[in-house]
Amino acid sequence: MDEKKAYRSVSENLFKVIENQYGYWLTVEELEEVKKSVQNIAEASEALRAVKLGNWDEPFSVFKPMRRRRV
Amino acid sequence: MRSDPLFMPVRELSRHIKSGRVSPVELTELYLRRLEKIGPNYNSVVTVTRRRALRQARRAEKEMEAGNYRGLLHGIPYGVKDLIATKGIPTSWGAAPFKDQVFDYDAAVVKKLDQAGAILCAKLAMIELAGGMGYRQPFASFTGPPRNPWSPDTWTGGSSSGSGAAVAAGLVPFALGSETWGSILSPSSSCGVAGLRPTYGRVSRHGAMALCWTLDKLGPLCQTADDCGLVLEAIAGPDPEDPTATDETWTYKPRSTKKRYKVGVLKGVADDAQDEVRQNFEEALNVVRRFASVEEFEFPDLPYEAITRTILNAEAASAFDEFVEAGLSHRLTAPEDHWGPYARTTLLATDYLRAMRLRGKMAKAVAEAMEPYDAVAAPTAKKAATPIDQEFRKVAPGATKDVMGAVGNGCGLPSIGVPDGFTRADLPTGIQFMGYPYDENAIINMARAYQSLTDWHRRHPDIPEP
Repeated sequence: MDEKKAYRSVSENLFKVIENQYGYWLTVEELEEVKKSVQNIAEASEALRAVKLGNWDEPFSVFKPMRRRRV
Repeated sequence: MRSDPLFMPVRELSRHIKSGRVSPVELTELYLRRLEKIGPNYNSVVTVTRRRALRQARRAEKEMEAGNYRGLLHGIPYGVKDLIATKGIPTSWGAAPFKDQVFDYDAAVVKKLDQAGAILCAKLAMIELAGGMGYRQPFASFTGPPRNPWSPDTWTGGSSSGSGAAVAAGLVPFALGSETWGSILSPSSSCGVAGLRPTYGRVSRHGAMALCWTLDKLGPLCQTADDCGLVLEAIAGPDPEDPTATDETWTYKPRSTKKRYKVGVLKGVADDAQDEVRQNFEEALNVVRRFASVEEFEFPDLPYEAITRTILNAEAASAFDEFVEAGLSHRLTAPEDHWGPYARTTLLATDYLRAMRLRGKMAKAVAEAMEPYDAVAAPTAKKAATPIDQEFRKVAPGATKDVMGAVGNGCGLPSIGVPDGFTRADLPTGIQFMGYPYDENAIINMARAYQSLTDWHRRHPDIPEP
């Protein structure tokens, strides 16, 4: 399976998850829009995956362990 | 300069207040009347906080009579975007399902402005849930489409729509807005006012609606860059209630406008902008060259927009998880906001983490590329105000790439937008100066230098008197 087919398949499967979980809230037209959005998200994920990362490249987020008393 | 206080910069207004020529109570009455009578013309106000405002104004007047002057914001009326909590006054987040929501505390920024003696006059309209559900057109607020004071048939930009319109229309001397990606700079540009997006963590967000915890910032919209400095000084600083707030206090340091700077311009940054936006930006750069050297540069090749977009999608999905689960998005105003939040619920944790890992690479690459410059200049927005009844992405559809927004918000960099001209239809356009984290003084001073050589900020829309 080539790369494009692979991520189309991923986005189709993710869309099915939404359809199963939230389908009752959404009309056919709305589901079509959701499908396009899932594809856009999958494309963005592909762009992220195209950049090589090392095992040591950690998430760039602030996290401070919280303490209530002095140690 | 007009002799009445409308459209006066805060610094000038405060001189009149301190000298006793302008009474805080009379000034507050003036703005309350404008908010009540003119505000509805632009759908820019959710709640006028008349009782609280007059109570604060009387207190300010008494304090000043007793010789207790708190500083430049003492007695100055202002408004806040309606995602900022105010005790006992509805905080709607711009969204019908929350229109009766009331908190029993003031947000940190409101407390700080209270301490500075400023007078809260209004909760200002905004795009529902700060645009976090993926809106596509101006009619995405339960208070109606926010109309631009320069031309009511056009949009204010968003999501701090009412904050931009209220300052532009002289309904308040300054306002607070919020930005996750573009929500201060967009209305700053469309409404022709100064808008400052501070460094991430510079201002406590305690009491403000969360859309994306690692992207949200609160900042001022004002008549001038100088006013942005004054307001930022009042709202910046540590807050134990917001773990992301920096431990440092911040002091505004206006410098001589004669200082020379080095400004970088991202290669091709205005190529896909509307023609008049690009022309005004090029002319603005000619003015910038009078106080700075200007040089083109490039960022290394990284998927900047995909990184910031993925972070935004993942965090917004989590922030509104319960809301979406309960089907409440269907009670929002814009049809696209009904289905907008569903797709991102399937975003994989590994993709979010990959975006957060790439964020580190992005921050490093951007810091290195910007190192030779004091700031980076770009058009504040690539389009002038778009028609009120159209999807904004369909107007000038080429002008949708926003590397400056992706980089600036993804890396938490401060940026200030100020007006740089008008289109043939008399709609404002703007130039932004984006700088280093925690160095808001550099970009404010650069914008001040620009405003000392131009008069775009002294032009105001024709507003019918109440």
